[in-house]
Amino acid sequence: MPGLPPLIEEDVQMLDTALDDLLRRTDAATALIIDKGGPLICQRGALENFDATTIAALAAGSFCATQAIAERIGETGFSNIYQQGRRHSLLFCDIDDNVLLVVIFKADISAGAIKYYAAAAVRQVSQQLGKARQRSPKESMDLVSMNVVDVSNIFTQKPRP
Amino acid sequence: MAIINQATKELQVKIVYYGPGKGGKTTNLEQIHTHVQNVQEKGKLVSLATSSDRTLFFDFLPIETMAIKGFKTKFQLYTVPGQVIYNTTRQLVLRGVDGIVFVADSQYDKMAENVESFQNLQDNLKALKFDFADIPYVLQFNKRDLPDAAPVEYMEFLLNNRAVRVPSFTSIASQCEGVFEPLNMITRLLLNKFINQSGPKKA
Repeated sequence: MPGLPPLIEEDVQMLDTALDDLLRRTDAATALIIDKGGPLICQRGALENFDATTIAALAAGSFCATQAIAERIGETGFSNIYQQGRRHSLLFCDIDDNVLLVVIFKADISAGAIKYYAAAAVRQVSQQLGKARQRSPKESMDLVSMNVVDVSNIFTQKPRP
Repeated sequence: MAIINQATKELQVKIVYYGPGKGGKTTNLEQIHTHVQNVQEKGKLVSLATSSDRTLFFDFLPIETMAIKGFKTKFQLYTVPGQVIYNTTRQLVLRGVDGIVFVADSQYDKMAENVESFQNLQDNLKALKFDFADIPYVLQFNKRDLPDAAPVEYMEFLLNNRAVRVPSFTSIASQCEGVFEPLNMITRLLLNKFINQSGPKKA
């Protein structure tokens, strides 16, 4: 399965800019770009109230589950999922096979406006990821400069009382 | 494929605990969550379970360590629901997996379920276009304290009979025995794999 290409500074800056534009135009609280496997790729906006890592994992699972339902009812897929809340609402937008945009916004903001500007952000992000993929069509990571610590015991157990 | 972000110096890897229902996958994550020390950041353990304690969708535990100097290494540990009916969910959780800990139940009468689950893992990886030979995995023979536990050699014969044998461990996850060893081993295999992958670029 082709995954997310390695991202360099230029990619992350572009993704951040796309999310910042979206937040500025819509007054949404938070925007996340996540991998459909669960990891968070980038996040912008007010995050103090949200556990973005866990939201990313749950959003990826939820979106992919809904896509699986779509297949079973003969739909090729739902590109957006909108969840209306009392205080906050959510919009999930499909970016490509691997990546998803999640927008968290106050429930009194128009969902139509969010969807409209989210579509623009999706295009920008998709374009940039396309560039990143072209840059490194074969998945690889440059670990030359990385200095791996002793990996034999990264996770240690607290001593038993 | 792990996610690497050169800009923010982050590496994110996804490890999935796989195996038959009620075999101890969730218990592994609970014990890691309770007993791990010296990590940079430990998130909450999220469990999507039914009222009968069976995992419905997945359990999720994020842990951050400094496995590579200068890089934040974020480990995301997942379990899958073991029961046969949840196969679609298992496939969803396997998406983007980097490494697998296969938790087998040591009880004699669970051997057929172990073998079936191991085959199901291979089928699901194939459906996701993964090559099983490319995914690092380790075996954890759990519930060794039960009186009807099958001999380790028998379990090796059933589950570790491929051309290349993988590391295997015995455990009593409920007592946090043998829980950290498989996690460290899969981490080691993963990081070694990434370094080897980047090898040709060095030359």
